[in-house]
Amino acid sequence: MQGTGGPHRVVVTGMGVVTPIGCTVPEFWAGCRRGQLGITPLDGFPIGDLKILIGAQVRDFDHRARLKNAKRDKIILHADRYSWFAAAAADEAIRQAGLTVPFENGYRVACIVGSGAGGLQTMETCYRDLFIHQKKATHPLTLLRFIASSAAAHVGIEYGVKGPTFATCSACSTAAHAIGIGRDYIRHGLVDVAIVGATESVINYGVMRAWQAMHVLSPEGCFPFAKKRNGTVLAEGAGILVLESLHHAKARGAKMLAELCGFGMTSDSKDMVNPDIDGPSEAMRLALEDAELAPTDIDYLNAHGTATTINDRNETNAIKRVFGKHAYELAVSSTKSMHGHPLGAGGGIEAVACIKAMEENWVPPTIGLDEADPECDLDYVPNAGRDKEVTYAMSNSFAFGGLNAVLVFGPPPA
Amino acid sequence: MDDVATKIIDILKKHMKEPRDDIGLNTQLTDLKIESLDLAMIVFDIEDTFGIEIPYNANEEAADFKTVGSVVDRVRALIAGSGAAAAKA
Repeated sequence: MQGTGGPHRVVVTGMGVVTPIGCTVPEFWAGCRRGQLGITPLDGFPIGDLKILIGAQVRDFDHRARLKNAKRDKIILHADRYSWFAAAAADEAIRQAGLTVPFENGYRVACIVGSGAGGLQTMETCYRDLFIHQKKATHPLTLLRFIASSAAAHVGIEYGVKGPTFATCSACSTAAHAIGIGRDYIRHGLVDVAIVGATESVINYGVMRAWQAMHVLSPEGCFPFAKKRNGTVLAEGAGILVLESLHHAKARGAKMLAELCGFGMTSDSKDMVNPDIDGPSEAMRLALEDAELAPTDIDYLNAHGTATTINDRNETNAIKRVFGKHAYELAVSSTKSMHGHPLGAGGGIEAVACIKAMEENWVPPTIGLDEADPECDLDYVPNAGRDKEVTYAMSNSFAFGGLNAVLVFGPPPA
Repeated sequence: MDDVATKIIDILKKHMKEPRDDIGLNTQLTDLKIESLDLAMIVFDIEDTFGIEIPYNANEEAADFKTVGSVVDRVRALIAGSGAAAAKA
């Protein structure tokens, strides 16, 4: 793939996260190592008559402390919570990448930070103010806070990004799409660096009522692949990667964490909520083909694993279809069992889990897996993580509407 | 068929692309091609019509939603329950 004519190879040089089990990558990974459960009783807002009383909220996140070093973005401290998460995760990723910011050649950098729903905390406040408290006006920053592009804009402003800057939006596949698109821009020489991923913060009364009306959340917990599973649990957070062309990273002597080898995207084109087997299978197959890898090359698969009855069964069948006998050699786990379902941000957080798994040759567990569904019979790394040599890892995201995005990561090139 | 059953059948027909006239208490919901989102919308309509709440989880096989008759029975029980609560208040 290298050479003056061909597409550039793309490597990861920085990672950042904000999650319910840790607000930095080291904290998050330590949480994974401990098999920590980030799902707790909901608090921090009026619970009222909510029937679902659990969620995976981000704790101990002081945005003023985390974002105090923001130099160029003047209003980040006044942004919506979803933008704070993106800014904090991007800050961690950029620092790790060791890039000089603001970028001297800003037009050669992209910033693609998506969100499934944007600033819904702001929407909640805005509607309460207007309709309940009958306030004369909403806060002047209301609009900028809730639109789903603001997180990308804030991050871009802070680092002097002048190239392609926008948000992706594809529900639970938002982050994976952002990461894949950023990679494509680098591959085809549009930019040299891309800050990519997604962020989500939607846990409040109104949104919980909306989710309750779909009857897909579990009142008990998030138990992917378990016989007892009965729905997913909402979470919030952000996951951001810094991608660079191999050439750019080597030229500046950057430490490369991984290579982003492959990306596959498909759409089921069937149903708004019920996944099909063809779309996810083809997305995995396309990601492998793009990475020029065989199914047997994958060691760890971070599943979409939302713990709905239908996803886990469908995903298991899709994995079997793509991997054949090797499906039973794979370590497959759903870290959503620990950090909940952070909607659009999931793919970003899970990409980080894949890269850490490769770095440390240790696969994170699916916790809460006391007894597996007999139809889900793969090795889901139940309850405790373990040592495993991981050279290549795959991360699945399968969203509402049948929107599928799959990433494949490999070792940093020599 | 009583008023409750008739109203419920009307709601079912309202949410079907091709409403059938032969829906009875023994009709299976799966025969009516009612899937999870359709069910959520139907339940919402029933809750609104009768002033009740029908808790359920789409991830669980609900016996309450097997046949039209089972839905009617559940709704009648919930109406009776909420009526008793209102009488106590």
